[in-house]
Amino acid sequence: MTIRALHSLAIVALLLGAAPARADQLVTDLSEHKIAIRSNFTGTQILLFGAVEANTPGERALDRDIIVVVTGPARAMTVRRKERVAGIWVNHDSLTFPRVPSYYAVASTRPLEVTAGIDILKREQIGIDNVDLGSPRAQSIDGSEEILPPDEEQIFTKALIRNKKRERLYISDPGGVTFLGQTLFRATVDIPANVPVGLYTATVFLLRDGQVVDAIASPLYIDKSGLERFIYRLAHAQPLFYGLVAVLGSVLAGWLASALLRER
Amino acid sequence: MQIYLPIAELPVNALVILAMGAAVGFLSGMFGVGGGFLMTPLLIFLGIPPAVAVGTQATQVVASSVTGALAHWQRGSIDFKMGAVLLAGGIVGSVSGIFIFRLLTQIGQIDLAISLIYVVFLTIIGVLMMTESLRAMQAAARGTPVPASRGGQHSWIHGLPFKMRFRRSKLYISVIPPILVGFFVGMLSAIMGVGGGFIMVPAMIYLLRMPTSIVIGTSLFQIVFVTALTGVMQSVENQTVDMMLGLILVIGGVVGAQYGVRAAARLKGEHLRALLAAIVLLMGLRLGWDLVTTPPDLYSISDVAPHS
Repeated sequence: MTIRALHSLAIVALLLGAAPARADQLVTDLSEHKIAIRSNFTGTQILLFGAVEANTPGERALDRDIIVVVTGPARAMTVRRKERVAGIWVNHDSLTFPRVPSYYAVASTRPLEVTAGIDILKREQIGIDNVDLGSPRAQSIDGSEEILPPDEEQIFTKALIRNKKRERLYISDPGGVTFLGQTLFRATVDIPANVPVGLYTATVFLLRDGQVVDAIASPLYIDKSGLERFIYRLAHAQPLFYGLVAVLGSVLAGWLASALLRER
Repeated sequence: MQIYLPIAELPVNALVILAMGAAVGFLSGMFGVGGGFLMTPLLIFLGIPPAVAVGTQATQVVASSVTGALAHWQRGSIDFKMGAVLLAGGIVGSVSGIFIFRLLTQIGQIDLAISLIYVVFLTIIGVLMMTESLRAMQAAARGTPVPASRGGQHSWIHGLPFKMRFRRSKLYISVIPPILVGFFVGMLSAIMGVGGGFIMVPAMIYLLRMPTSIVIGTSLFQIVFVTALTGVMQSVENQTVDMMLGLILVIGGVVGAQYGVRAAARLKGEHLRALLAAIVLLMGLRLGWDLVTTPPDLYSISDVAPHS
């Protein structure tokens, strides 16, 4: 994404021609680069802040926009549609998207559609509707491959976004980035309790006249910590040992209970 | 008090789970049932993924059945030979249940399958228990004893081969019916996260015609080992056993069961059964209602199973 941004930066510089050699630049940081999920984790917020270093002094920042995008690790996801079969709602057709961001939050100074053209937003994958989910694979209830018409695919894509929004894992906050004075800006992004673990990327875009002039991406690690991490790791790395421990623990608890009962 | 569950990957209110464990423990102490068939739907109502609810519930059943089995062992009311035969069927059933569970998860029908099986079983058992307890109450009101239901002494079961003598049960029958009963219950244990006592006990009394005094101990003996195997296999195959959730459930269950046993002493048997039947029917209706009413969103999303 940064390479693309640099690319567009070069184009902008070329187009402007006589304009200053260096356009405005971003300086950004996150309040946290690592979020630890402990047993008391009920969601959190991260603060993104930064400044625009103006190399074009004297100009007012009216046409300047900041967009903040936080994306989680991409995973394959299946969207299923229920249909009524003999009076019961059954999962029928399904569509599997190969790379769906497990989390996607976007905040901007103004609504996205007035910030930049759709081609720019699609290219930089800014905005929930503009994320490339890969080419989906459709399946019928009997497991056979299907080819869905594009408008059907569109309905499934919308349903995916709707479900993710309901889980509070897709967040859109136009107006979520606020400028403090001429150069400083800040944005808070909600991290809900059900957030998937992994490597996240927080990208800040600086736009001018609808063109991306700078972008900075910073990593954000979200991982389980302490006991949560230990249990999760054990369950996946040593599943047999984990299962034995869980079952033996239960046997012990049951035996303990009966020993206590007998003492009464 | 919110606590984050590492495997279910969501925070829950620990006090709510503790209270649920205690309530189900209370009922299981009161009625002498494992309570898995009540706990799994409750966990699902609470938003725990069905797969995690089923996997974790298996370990909770291990704990409660160990307590019960130990008590029966001290009283000598376990037929170990019959238990071993039931267990042999149970092991095969549990393994095939895990396989079916994984298959259903891959084709996206596991939630429906769990709900459907629960609706069918909760309704059948609720209706059966309700009619039986109502009849018993009527009989008690009229002052006539309930005639013990005894069918013909020789049923089709006695025509089957591979007969074996079970001294403790005073039976000489084919091993095929107990193996099938064990198999069926083992499968349910893997798919539903239950011990299966509520199926096995009637089957042992009415189908195998075992003496009532040793039925519960023997079924608990089988349940301990089958659910232990199920718990280990759910961990290995699906990583759906949440230790944190299991721990809270076990603590609640142990405490609740103590009070349940005491409360049971103060209530009449047929009233108890009518109460349990009402609870079972209500849960069945609730699950059934969700299956037939139009869901708020026809579309649902899920991670692609890592195994597929």
